Amino acid sequence: MFDLNTIKESIISGNLSQAEELTQSALEAGVTAKEILDGSLVPALDEVGRKFQAGEYFFPELLVAGEATRVAMERLKPELSRSGAPTMGKYAIGTVKGDIHDIGKNIVIMMLEGNGWEVTDLGTDVSTEKFCEVVKEGDYKILGLSALLTTTIPRLAETMDALKEGGLREKVKVMVGGVSINQEYADQIGADAYGKDAFEAVIKARALAGKS
Amino acid sequence: MNGLERLKRVLRREEPDRVPHFEFMVHEKVRNAIKPGLSLEDFYEFMDADGIGVGDKSAAKCYTVVDEAKRIYRDQWGALVKFSEEAAGIPFEPVIKSESDWENYVVPDPDEDWRYDNVRKMVKRFKGERGIFCGVTDVFDIVKESFLGDIPMFTEMIRNPARVHRMCQVVLDYQLRYVENCRAAGADLFYINGDYAVTAGPMVSPKMAAEFFMPYLKPLVTRVHELGSMCIKHSDGLLWSLFDQIIETGVDGIHPIDPEAGMDMGEAKAKYGDKICLLGNVDCGPLLTWGTAAEVRETTRECLRKGGKGGGLICMSSNSIHSGVNPENYVAMVEIIHEYGKYPLEDHLDNLVVPGSGKWS
Repeated sequence: MFDLNTIKESIISGNLSQAEELTQSALEAGVTAKEILDGSLVPALDEVGRKFQAGEYFFPELLVAGEATRVAMERLKPELSRSGAPTMGKYAIGTVKGDIHDIGKNIVIMMLEGNGWEVTDLGTDVSTEKFCEVVKEGDYKILGLSALLTTTIPRLAETMDALKEGGLREKVKVMVGGVSINQEYADQIGADAYGKDAFEAVIKARALAGKS
Repeated sequence: MNGLERLKRVLRREEPDRVPHFEFMVHEKVRNAIKPGLSLEDFYEFMDADGIGVGDKSAAKCYTVVDEAKRIYRDQWGALVKFSEEAAGIPFEPVIKSESDWENYVVPDPDEDWRYDNVRKMVKRFKGERGIFCGVTDVFDIVKESFLGDIPMFTEMIRNPARVHRMCQVVLDYQLRYVENCRAAGADLFYINGDYAVTAGPMVSPKMAAEFFMPYLKPLVTRVHELGSMCIKHSDGLLWSLFDQIIETGVDGIHPIDPEAGMDMGEAKAKYGDKICLLGNVDCGPLLTWGTAAEVRETTRECLRKGGKGGGLICMSSNSIHSGVNPENYVAMVEIIHEYGKYPLEDHLDNLVVPGSGKWS
């Protein structure tokens, strides 16, 4: 019986080679990719998130854990698609027009991918039209909008309005995040969820996907 | 007492005639809305700024054009930088992407004369009257933003700390020389900018800050002092857990006591007011952007009341007067500082009636 805690611990400590080797060993021992995802990767990132929020982990520890998750996930991906195991779904995310900050968005992406989301990174300085086009043409469960600068926060409301006007609002759930944003603002513009950090974003994305 | 004298006094935590004010940057859009057609120098004089901010990347020659239409440039370190209508340039593609990039890296020359054109321009206009504050980007910030990129930098701090230190040393050597040259060109004071924290807390643990931030901040501060000058450290974010370490480097002031991160001027004054000059903390986020002039006056008054006693306060925005700041709010903040920041403060502030002055209109 393979101990899934070993993979979990390798991720929490950010040990890339160990995370990769143990994931491969688990697959070879007959553990399914879905069992590894649910039993190792997701709980590892939950623990990393807890440590980050508790002030035990900071960006470096968080990011090496994210990297360890990514290498483990690379091993799991072919097996997940071969087995047809359901993933969390597709998630598109970008920083709104006028804003070119992206470290927060990039950490969210890392955590979402480690939780089994198929993420499309739309980058920074993304126009409202581009967000609408992506939603229209893709099959995304969630659209994530990030804004750090005070001056770019109104773009979130503009994007929400454009989605409604384009008849796209019902097609996708919308999550928002960024330094100057809060739950009150998210409610005001009618977003489905607000994530105050990457870990809350992951938890709320799971809930929106009905998998909490 | 002129602006320079005022700034020097508060940096020594002594009382001047009134609380000084200046901004590291005032966006052209805001300047033109307040008084159209003025040069930057004329605008500073019009606002009676006590200090003149000169950024270390403000010279056009620090950037080469890569794609004008997309606002993509290459910074002096070699990183690709993108600007937007609202944001100052942010590197998005670092210069060191491989070991060979690093082996072949050529450090910019801090002795190139053009780098000091802006300093000299301000010296010629304001020397001896207003404090000429030269910006020096923090060593850590340059390695993070331009050399490695933020995520690789943070992961390398764990995986390959020696590599990070080698890069930091290269940048430190450049910045030490840069500071010397600025001082020779006539700079009065220095501000070392680069964030150590975000609103939730420091980017790295206090242990890592001691290993990667302070060993490169302290030599800069020491060199500034050796040159007979003073300097302040700017970092956004929730900084309490790094405050002692920053003070131990010998830095003379700290900016901005970030209100968006929940940092309170009164708490900073009570804990650290006897050790360091405090700068800030009028919120340039929602308050100066969307707040009313009355709210700005009230917040500025609070900043003066909490931080001004006994000197040791430079009252200013929490980052800069960016393009989104309501010009009326910026003016309201400056009016309150000028009119109610006079020493002794107590009488003014205890009986304060905040005016709706039209002095600047």
